[in-house]
Order: sequence, then C-alpha cells, then structure tokens
Amino acid sequence: MAKQYAMIVQVAKCIGCQACTVACKFQNEVPDGQYRTKTPAIGPKGTYPNLSLFFEKEACQMCKNAPCVKVCPTRASYKNEDGVVLVDVDKCVGCKYCMTACPYDARFTNAKTGAVDKCSFCYEIRVGNGQKPACVSTCVGGALEFGNINDSNSDAAKLLAKYKAQVRKPEFGTIPNVYYIYEGVK
Amino acid sequence: MRRRQFLKGALYGTGSMIALGGCGSLTKVDQKTLAANQIAEKTVYSTCEMCTSRCTMAAKVRDGKVIKIEGNPNDSSTAGTVCARGSAGVSLLYDPQRIKKPMIRTGERGTGKFKEVSWDEAYTFIADKVTQIQQNYGPEAIAFASRINPQDAFFRQIAKAIGSPNTFSHEATCPMTKTTALEMTFGNPWIAADYGNAKYIITSGRNFFEGIHVSMVKGVMKAVQNGAKLVVLDPRFSVTAAKGEWVPIKGATDLAFFMAMANIMIKENLYDKDFIENYTEGFDKWVEAVKDKTPEWAEKETGIPKEKIIEITRDFAAKRPNALVEFGWRTPWTPNDYQCRRAILIINLMMGNWEVPGGYYQKKGAGVLQPFPDQAGYAKPTGGGYGPMPPAPKPSKGRIDGAGVKGTPGILIPVADGAVGQIPESILTEKPYAIKGWLVHRFNPVISMTESERIIESFKKLDLLVTCDVYMTDTAYYSDVVLPECTYLERYEPIIDQSGLIPKIQLRQPVVPLVYPDTKPAWLIYKELGQKMGIGDFFSFKDMEEFLERQLKPSGIAFDQMKEKGFWSPADMKPFYMRGKDPKAPAAPSLNEKGKMHIFSHEIEEAIPGQGIPVYTKYPQPGEGEFRFVQGKVAVHTNAGTHNVPVLNELMPTNSLWINSVSATKLGIKDGDNIVITAGKYEHKGVAKVTEAIRPDTVFCYHGFGRISPGLKRAYGKGINDNKLIPNAIGESGNVVTSMTFVKIRKV
Repeated sequence: MAKQYAMIVQVAKCIGCQACTVACKFQNEVPDGQYRTKTPAIGPKGTYPNLSLFFEKEACQMCKNAPCVKVCPTRASYKNEDGVVLVDVDKCVGCKYCMTACPYDARFTNAKTGAVDKCSFCYEIRVGNGQKPACVSTCVGGALEFGNINDSNSDAAKLLAKYKAQVRKPEFGTIPNVYYIYEGVK
Repeated sequence: MRRRQFLKGALYGTGSMIALGGCGSLTKVDQKTLAANQIAEKTVYSTCEMCTSRCTMAAKVRDGKVIKIEGNPNDSSTAGTVCARGSAGVSLLYDPQRIKKPMIRTGERGTGKFKEVSWDEAYTFIADKVTQIQQNYGPEAIAFASRINPQDAFFRQIAKAIGSPNTFSHEATCPMTKTTALEMTFGNPWIAADYGNAKYIITSGRNFFEGIHVSMVKGVMKAVQNGAKLVVLDPRFSVTAAKGEWVPIKGATDLAFFMAMANIMIKENLYDKDFIENYTEGFDKWVEAVKDKTPEWAEKETGIPKEKIIEITRDFAAKRPNALVEFGWRTPWTPNDYQCRRAILIINLMMGNWEVPGGYYQKKGAGVLQPFPDQAGYAKPTGGGYGPMPPAPKPSKGRIDGAGVKGTPGILIPVADGAVGQIPESILTEKPYAIKGWLVHRFNPVISMTESERIIESFKKLDLLVTCDVYMTDTAYYSDVVLPECTYLERYEPIIDQSGLIPKIQLRQPVVPLVYPDTKPAWLIYKELGQKMGIGDFFSFKDMEEFLERQLKPSGIAFDQMKEKGFWSPADMKPFYMRGKDPKAPAAPSLNEKGKMHIFSHEIEEAIPGQGIPVYTKYPQPGEGEFRFVQGKVAVHTNAGTHNVPVLNELMPTNSLWINSVSATKLGIKDGDNIVITAGKYEHKGVAKVTEAIRPDTVFCYHGFGRISPGLKRAYGKGINDNKLIPNAIGESGNVVTSMTFVKIRKV
C-alpha cells in the first residue's frame, strides 16, 4: 500500500512552548519574521475563575484534496507519492493563487527565495533519512507524532486507532493529514 | 502574473533547503545530495546554557558553522528534545550585537561611552583598581556576584585568593527560600522530585510549563497523562494551571493552605505515622502549631472554600505515598517565604513520600550511591581540576550579609549564595562596612535584582564595577570595564553533575571555534586576570583539557568519551529509591548527621526564637484601588538573559500588565491601553492586557523586559521592567521579596 504520512497533535500535551516553532525555523532556514509553523494559544476562554486554555499547532494541513495544488498554474505545488504536499521552488512563480486558495492560511512568500513556502513535514531533509520532522523530534510536551498512517504499526496510526481525532475545517472537503486529538483537554 | 525573480532567490538562499527544495521525491540524485550533506555535517554533544537547567544538547555543525541545535537523542530524560530557547542558541552565537572586545568606560556612568581596549589593558585596569581598594579598605570591600554556573567557580577563585568573603550568586532573586528550607529540614539542598511517577501533584506557583526544565516537563506531563491530578495554586491562570485544576489563591497566603492541609491530615489520620516516627523529629511541635489552623480559618486567609481545601487534602492523602507537593522554583515571595517552603516539605514528610516513586529523593550522585553495596558500582566520583594551590588568606572580616553564622539570623542565608541584595545596601549605607568594588559575572543586577534605580544609584558610589557577559547588559552599560565572554557553544566548563534517580555527569564543550576572536571563556579570563593580580598560582592548570582530565581521573571515564557523547550515565542502572523495596530501609538525607529530618529545626529556633516550626504571618492584602504585583516566567525567555537573542526577541519582544477584566472596567482600562503603574516613588509605563486569567486583586507581568541598556538594541525600552517597581527588601533567608508590592494603575 502506498504511504500516507500524517502528523498527529495531542492537544492536551501541548504546552505552547514554541520549541517546534524555533526548531522549524533553523531546520528549514525560514527567514526572520516568517514561520512555517506556530502554536498560538486558544483562549483563555470563559469567565474568571472558570477558564480553559489550550494551544493548537498551525501549519500546512497536508490535504488529500489540496486546493493549493489545484490552483497552481505551474504545478509548483504538488502532492508526492507519500501523500505530502510540497512546493517546487524552481517552478513557483510567486503568483500567490495557492495562498488565496489555502483555507488554513498556511502559506507565505519566503522573503529570501521569493517562492511560496510552507511546512513540508521536513520531507526532503529529515523524513528521507528516517527521521521525524524537526517539530516532532523536539516537542517538549510530547504532543506531536508523525508517521505513515497506512501502516497500522506506526505510532501515528496507533494514536488514530486509539483516540477520536479531528481535522481542521472539514467542511472544506480538503481531507487534511494533520489530525488533532482533544482527549484530556480541559 | 509577474514572474518571480528566481536568480534573486538563488543568491539569497543558502544550504540544503534550496539545494533540495526542487526535488519531488527522493530520487537517486537527492539521496546523493543528502549523503554529501551528512559528510559535511557533524554532531557535537554538549550542555545547553540558554537557561540554568543544563539540558543535554546536540549541535549540528556544517562547514564549521552551527546550523541547528537539537536535543541529545541518547538522553532519555529529555527524550532528545530541547525547548525553544535551546534551539535559539544558534542565533545567540552569531548575533552581531554580542560584545566582541574588552571595553573601558570613557564617559560618565550611564552615558554608554566606552573605548575598546586590549585584554591586557583591561586586566591591568582591574588589577590596579582592586589593589587600590584592597589597600584603602581591605579585600572585603570588593564584592563578587555571579549567576550560578559550573564556570563561576573560576570567578569566585579570585575572591578566595584575595581574601574577600563577599561572594554572591543570583539565587537570592530566585530559589533561595526553598534552598534554606531544604537545608534546614534535610541538611542539604540536593533533593529532587520524581514527578513522572506521582499520582497527585500540588504546586504552589511553580509553573512547570512556562518556566521550562525539559526533563521536569516530561515528568509532570507523564504523570498527568497517566491520570495524576495536578492542582495549581496561583493568583494567575498560568499554562500549568490550564493543564490542571486552577485554585486562584490570594497572594502571600499559601502557608495557610498548607497548614490547613496538615490540620486535616492529622485530624483525619491521613498521614504516615511510621515514617514520621522513624525518619523525622519534632512532629509534636507541628501538631501543636497547626491545631487551630482549620479549613475554616484557611478559607478566610486564602479565599479558597474550606470544602475545596478538604477535598484536595483527602484526595491527595489517598494517593500516599506516591504524591507530592512541589517545593517551588522561583520562590522569594514574602520576607519569610522559607516558612511556607518548610511547611510544604513537612506535608511531604507526612505523606512518607521520601525515596519512593512519585515522591522526593536525594539526587543520586556518586557520593550518595557509594554506601549502598548494590549501587556502589554505579558511582563514578569526579575530582577537582585546579591542581595544587597555596592556602587562601583568611578573610579578616565577616560577610556583609552575616550569612551562615550559627546562632544568628544569618544561619538562614545559604552561604554559597548570600543575600545579594545586601551589596547595594552596603555600598550606599557603608554598613556593616563599605563595598567599594563590585565584580559581576554573567549576572545583571539592574534587571534581576529588585529596585533597579537603587542598584544604579549604588553603582555611582563604586570605585570599580566590572561586568563580564555576552551582551552589553544593563549592568555592563554602567560598568567601568566590560569583558566579553564567549558563549557556551565556544567553551569548556568544569564537569556538570546532573544526577537524578541515576547518576549523570555532563560536559559543556566548544562546538565551534570562537565566532568573535577577541572573546574568551571565563576560565581563561579569570586565570589571566589572576596572573595579572599576582594570584596566578590559584589557577594551576594549563588549560581546560588538563582541568577536565584531572576532574575525570577518579571516575575512570575517559575525557574522549565525554567529548564524544556529551554525558555519562550508567545505561543499565534502574532508578534507585532508597525505600523502594523496604519502607523502613535506611534513607537518611546526605550530610544529615543525626539521620532524622527536621520538622522542628533547632538551628532556626536558636537563631530566631519561636520560628523553629513554621509560624503563619498574616501579611497585608491590597486595599481599594491597589493590586498585588506578581511576576513570572514565559517559555520563550529566561529571566533577564534572552530578551535580546534574535529569534526569541522576535517571538516575544515585549510584555504587558495582566489585569482582571472587572478591575480594568472599574478603572476605565481597555485591553491594549497605555497605562502607568505606580508603586511608592516609582512609576513605569506599560500596556494593559485585560484578561479573565488573574485574580481581581492581582496584576502580573512576565519578567525580564523593559531593558535600559541601549546596547541591547532589540530589547531596549520594550515593555515593563518589574524590578523597577519592587523595593530592595532583604527577606529572612536573604531573599529578595518579589510579591509584597502593591501597585496602582492608571490609564494615560
């Protein structure tokens, strides 16, 4: 069976420490002031003293039906055989159609290359070496998992089997490959 | 459609992202490129210094340049992770705003006028001034203050060699009241918690998930994931509070909560009588002290409903002995905060959680393991690195803070740390005698100590102020001489003992050569300064290689092995709990002569009659229009250390003042409004963050902002410097007092 790489975010274990944010910046040489991923706070919600607060990692959702791929006039945005949406910087003409099409606001124009940039699951520089993406490898709270969810023995697939997971904005029909597990979120 | 200028991109792009960015899949070409990158890349294992937690780390070095810092994947305590600050070390290393040359002040203090000088000129200037002060006032007129660090031993060596007793660490501004409580209760402070196996954790203010210590975050998270209850007493809704049950306790009343817990545990027979009998002394006095500290009484003090106090106590006690009350990290909230820490330790003793899973333990360094026959094989003791040295002159006067003198209140002040707040007081008042010279190493009194303006005022009376740091800090800015240290990624340091339930020693080593060639490591700076001052024979080691070889020799661990791995820990050893198998096993804390833990402390009683057992002090609460001012840590910054580090500054360049929405409405303040915060004679401008996440009688800001040195170009003038508003009071255990200041807020 073909691979399908996916990221699993266990929201209850995320402490919003931004270790992922910074690791990604160095791993992918993301220019000053720009980010492929960030983990903002959701909340605090409620009224004193009954409050809730959690963090939600934001990045490319690696959609199966990726609107960015559909609108790209040069095929710079494409989905590879492992189910990972990538940008070919050589082909990108910087038209930003994909940025408009992305329901997750996950894309930006890289200030150094001029090409559109986004999370790549560290596909070329880590996953190919058998490593997990930089953010997953350095997650202090242990909230992030990554793997081939078509392999039921992968840690990622096991989490999806064990817990109910959600995707962001399912109403867009994008079928993301970043899953959020809210088990244990207060 | 406008075509992107690809050439521009190619010119600016560097490294593997551009080289590999075009590949659709991992073709043969890509694999080759990957392999080439791996050859050019090496990994150097070392120890992080972006905060004081000293996590292991792995630096990825390509073509002589650090490209990324990761966790050390071989260290199970961090699971190979580093936090945001740890990752950001690269941007400190290459920051063009680091100080690069020694400097001597040329203008008035505070005008920022310096000239670059040679190291020899800088050393000569310092040595001459020190000699003058020694001749005119005696060596004790020179005070030394540093951030605790393996390498600050070299700095303290100067004090030892000239005969000044006045050495201080930053600890009085942070964990000192906890240290005092540990020393007075256990006889030593090298005690840690086994969070990962706890079934119930109560924390009073300790904010695990924002004041990040990676292995402790891992432990607490493991406990919570395994179903442990986490109760968080804090006037502010922190990230830690969000992961547990938030109990918004009234400021400065935590001791009342713990005394009521003890009251309930005694009344309902919920404590470990055998443990108390076998391992402790003075419990009867504690029973007496808490007999009227009922939940009803504590409700009035703390604002926590008595039913909640009873519920927490019963549920907590039901998890005996695998449950703990956290003793704290940055703790100097009140003048006698150590009594609150003592009460916390006593609750833990009542739980019998000493040396069992999910409780407290003596850190298992070599010296602790050696007496246990089945563990002694894991003990690899290290030795000293200095080599032979002459006898140090005996100081002719006592310390300015009286630390460590038996039978006096000074006994409460840990002598290795000292009451650093006494330095500016002794400069300004000349009591008990004048301080005329202040040497500062990797510490920033202006921001880290309370009452910034008083600190600066004290600088003006000094004959000599020297600062050694990596940035032009707010203290360096006022100094006579500024010495540029290289970063932790460019230097060796003495062996670092990070033992937990198993022993662990770590190395900090150069990952790359000096980025700025005129910076130096601390060991070399103080060795060379010592030579210039005629006390070079206190530094009788050639270099750090020799120093470290000497340190490692008794352990039998090869220096090369440490350089290769970055740390040593026995791979086959299981976590060792002295009472893991037998609850009556010998388990005296180390250095504790009698072997009994002191619920009642004769040492404290002798020094301050009536205080041998924790006594509740009813502190004032803010009146109408006033707020208790509290401060705290954030995950992306360390104390006053990282606010100018490029990537971290980018993530969080400023702070704001948290104020409850109801209180803000009364004052006509809206979220984002410009405000003025007033405390006594001091004022500070800031921005309001109107939130539900704080008690209505309390305001809060993250610490370390509002920098006054223009040399910190990114952090300069941004946000609120909390310590500008807090008076320089010295608490009973030598601590600064962080949470007893009431402020008023007005909109501007």
